Amino acid sequence: MKKFFIIAILVMTGLSVFAYLIKPNTDHPGKVELRWVTDDNPARRNQIKLFNDTHPNINLSLDPGTNQKVVVQVLAGVGPDLFDVYSGQLPNYVKSDACLDVTDKLKAVGINVEKDVWRTLDTTYIYDGRVYGFPTNAACAGLMFNKDSFRKLGMPFPKGPWKWKDFLPVAQKLTVKDAEGKIQQYGFMFEWSYFPMLSMQWGGHLYSPDGTRSVLDSPENAGAVQFMHDLIYKYHVSPTPNEQTSMASQGGWGAGMINLFGAGRAATMLAGRWMLCNLRNFEGLKVGAAELPYENHRVFWGYGRATTVNKYGKHKKEAFEFLKYLASTEYNELINHQADSIATVIRTTYTDKYLHDPAYPEEDTNAVWRDTMYLSKPYETSPFIDASKSDLILYKQLDLVRADQKSPEEALKTAQELINEVIQRNIRKDPKLQELYDKLMLESRKKAKH
Amino acid sequence: MNKEARKTATALAYLAPNFIGFVVFLAGPVVFSLVMSFTNWGMQKSVPFAWIGLENFTELLGDVNFWLYFLNTAYFMIGIPFAIAGSLILAIMLSQKLKGITVYRTLFYLPSITSGVALMILWKALYNPETGPINTMLNWFLNTVGLNHVIHAVFGTTVTPPAWLISTKSILGLDVDKIGMVWKQFGLGARDAIIYMGIWTGIGGGNMLLYLAALTNQPQELVEAAQIDGASRWAIFKNVTWPYLAPTTFFITIMSFIGGLQGGFEQARVMTGGGPAGTTMTMTYYIYTQAFDELQLGYASAVAWVLAVIILVVTLINWKFGNKEMYY
Amino acid sequence: MSTQNELAGQQRTWWNRWGKVTSSHLLLGLISITTMLPFIWMVLASFKPMADIEKINPIPSVWHPENYIEVFRKVQFARYYFNSLFIAAWVTLLTVLTSSLAAYAFARIQWKGRDMVFKLYLMTLMIPGVVVMIPNYTVMVHLHLLDSYVGLIVPAAFSAFGTFLLRQFMLTIPSALDEAAEIDGANSWQILWEIIMPLAQPGLVTLAVFTFLGNYGSFFWPLLIIKSEYLRTLPIGMLFFDTNYGTQTNLIMAGSVMSVIPVIILFVFCQKFLVKGIQLGAVKG
Repeated sequence: MKKFFIIAILVMTGLSVFAYLIKPNTDHPGKVELRWVTDDNPARRNQIKLFNDTHPNINLSLDPGTNQKVVVQVLAGVGPDLFDVYSGQLPNYVKSDACLDVTDKLKAVGINVEKDVWRTLDTTYIYDGRVYGFPTNAACAGLMFNKDSFRKLGMPFPKGPWKWKDFLPVAQKLTVKDAEGKIQQYGFMFEWSYFPMLSMQWGGHLYSPDGTRSVLDSPENAGAVQFMHDLIYKYHVSPTPNEQTSMASQGGWGAGMINLFGAGRAATMLAGRWMLCNLRNFEGLKVGAAELPYENHRVFWGYGRATTVNKYGKHKKEAFEFLKYLASTEYNELINHQADSIATVIRTTYTDKYLHDPAYPEEDTNAVWRDTMYLSKPYETSPFIDASKSDLILYKQLDLVRADQKSPEEALKTAQELINEVIQRNIRKDPKLQELYDKLMLESRKKAKH
Repeated sequence: MNKEARKTATALAYLAPNFIGFVVFLAGPVVFSLVMSFTNWGMQKSVPFAWIGLENFTELLGDVNFWLYFLNTAYFMIGIPFAIAGSLILAIMLSQKLKGITVYRTLFYLPSITSGVALMILWKALYNPETGPINTMLNWFLNTVGLNHVIHAVFGTTVTPPAWLISTKSILGLDVDKIGMVWKQFGLGARDAIIYMGIWTGIGGGNMLLYLAALTNQPQELVEAAQIDGASRWAIFKNVTWPYLAPTTFFITIMSFIGGLQGGFEQARVMTGGGPAGTTMTMTYYIYTQAFDELQLGYASAVAWVLAVIILVVTLINWKFGNKEMYY
Repeated sequence: MSTQNELAGQQRTWWNRWGKVTSSHLLLGLISITTMLPFIWMVLASFKPMADIEKINPIPSVWHPENYIEVFRKVQFARYYFNSLFIAAWVTLLTVLTSSLAAYAFARIQWKGRDMVFKLYLMTLMIPGVVVMIPNYTVMVHLHLLDSYVGLIVPAAFSAFGTFLLRQFMLTIPSALDEAAEIDGANSWQILWEIIMPLAQPGLVTLAVFTFLGNYGSFFWPLLIIKSEYLRTLPIGMLFFDTNYGTQTNLIMAGSVMSVIPVIILFVFCQKFLVKGIQLGAVKG
């Protein structure tokens, strides 16, 4: 018996040594190791390689961790050197004291964030007047279309500016049924996460101007949601959730809708240029882009991602070199070429390299994306509630409308109530928020008196 | 050192390795989390740590989401009586003296022993509304074979296969953001899909083995006496076997409840992400999201302790009720 | 006349017996097939080309055993296998060792406070696991043991259940043997290893099998601790595999089949112990 255990212990110890030996070796002697938490997009590899090639004393590597745990890692002192922040997440990180303030450092190296970068990206890296990182890419909403679908029906390629009512007949013509009446090609596909954009177009808002309460329950918003519902159930140009989800399963970044478009099951879709990364894999697919239709206001969603430096990282100086790299012409030209959406530095989207990339001759509509960036705005947020929290509540309600189980008005009303409840709860818990809230309420009362 | 003290020292020496781990990873954390549930412990640096007494508890009791998730957890336990009955039936069938009976026993037990992420991913694929074999089979029966024609003739409507994991419906027609039942939500949805999977996994598992052991050890004199008296098979079962199995049934029921109240985590995380619209969010998954996504560790600890108390209460109720049943 | 009746009677009982046996087998066989259907589908699907997945015919039109190789190319599946087996082995070894020693202290030595401490162990069995996950995670964070083998192995190696199970088992060993050895001058350590452990072997094997299987499929804790791909165990690996490549059902099914095989193998070899163990665990109730 004893012998058995002794042998077992020896074997396990041996295996442990083995496990230690086969641990992936990430050390490069003489170089500073930088860890960047970002999504595991194949495009990142070239972006990282370019940085490493031009900075021989640094070895940057990708860590595909999930964002929620980054905060915990940083606070535990084991955080990455660089990590990405998406629209709406920055306040949380700044409040957790995770990001390095680089306002002065950037100015010192001649990077002017107000002039060089798209305005719509501000909220991803600027908070309370201070700069905490640099944008990694930019994107806006546009209408992507399958050129062959249009050619087959002898229709001219779409071109904006145009309104949704002009778009509808086009989408209806492009909704093609087969002999048994089953829809083979949908005229238009879109994701419901674009609701805030339609809200802006219809003239609605998500929050009151001071962010103290949710104002989802408005006729304008109801109109926008009703339109989204009608696209599916009245005009039948978009699939029901059942139809759509069963055509694909989960995976990657927005895989479902993109794959269907690539496979020719949709003639147009509400898209971002980054979808080309995936669409370029579909042989024979010719994609064009046009300005997205609008309703009462010609405004579109502009968004992006920024990378920030870990305030408690051990290699802040080298990490800052990466931020400088993000502002460089080489990096921006690379992401234009990769369609990792659009360059963040405006001037690089006026070059011939961008407009007519020799590697992709069919993509001749790149100007559309650039021009739409000027018309784009980010979604409204409130300092009193985390965007991820409010999104959860809002989209749970909108999901029900999309499944035809609730009316737009009811859904918006419920979402508004629930969001306001959370806001009140957050204010009660955090004394700083309470201060801010009282200040804003006082100001709004003063304004009301006049 | 006297004998008494030496014995204690020896005992403690043997106990030490296990006991240290026990304190650090079991007993200590239990106390720690209980204490933390009375604070606002979280990861927001901007909010100073503070003792907030019962505030976490009043908050969670007033939160409709908590009750919805509790309802979801309770809903999943609907399958328990069916699973127990199924285990019993299988055990009865396996208790026959038949050649090769262990082969069948192995096959029945297989789903239970292999249960885990891999199986849940399998069922996720099975339940896929368009490509999954379950709906493909249903579609075949309804449309190719023509069952829908019959249904149409009798009821005036046709039937479409359920959307399973992406549907918010349920057999009880539970409403999605309030407590209540709604006609529109009546159907087969994610919750039911998970229940069926649970029954399939558990029916031939440990419970069946327990029943089998009990049945094998059943004293035959009573059974034979009843047979001689001319009692039917059903009467024998009802009056002799079932009461004999009462302690086993009692144990199985309690364990099922304890397990059921804590369950649903893997299913939610692997198959549905808690959706659609929060309908598969169970207590354990809620605690997980509160602690590790929202970083509200004090609040999550409070919810965890409420769950512990619920389990205790349910066990006590079961105990009292079961004890009465045991003596006939 | 009576002989004819007798013969007829014999024939009837012979036929009855065979009829019963056949119908039992038929019924059991039918149920077995129904239970096995998902498994059968899983295995068949793992050999299918993607286009066949939604066809009603469960059998592949073309057999693609290279799907399995593809899994190893798409993700570090071999690593996941190693990690799951390695970690489960360590946890099993540590659990069995520490639980045996502790059970010996509870079952064989009379010491002050013994019953009180044992009651403490029993009480923790009643607490839902999720209660301790949160503090344990924070401890791991502070000890910088996140994303490490140690963090995965050590917290899982301490089980009150193991101690409880082995104590019950040891209590069934007659203490007369102990006393005889004591008279011969053996000390407690020798008694433990020469007498108790060999006799407790069935209990040890049962605990080992249970612990191994339990840890192999463990999901919650690895989900919290594992960040890097090289550390992933099979459950976590399968989860991410499905998240990133979920559209390729055939590959996913191949991965699932491979995840499940070690369990089936272990089970077939250790059936006896598992069945016994469940019954043992239920006795105390």
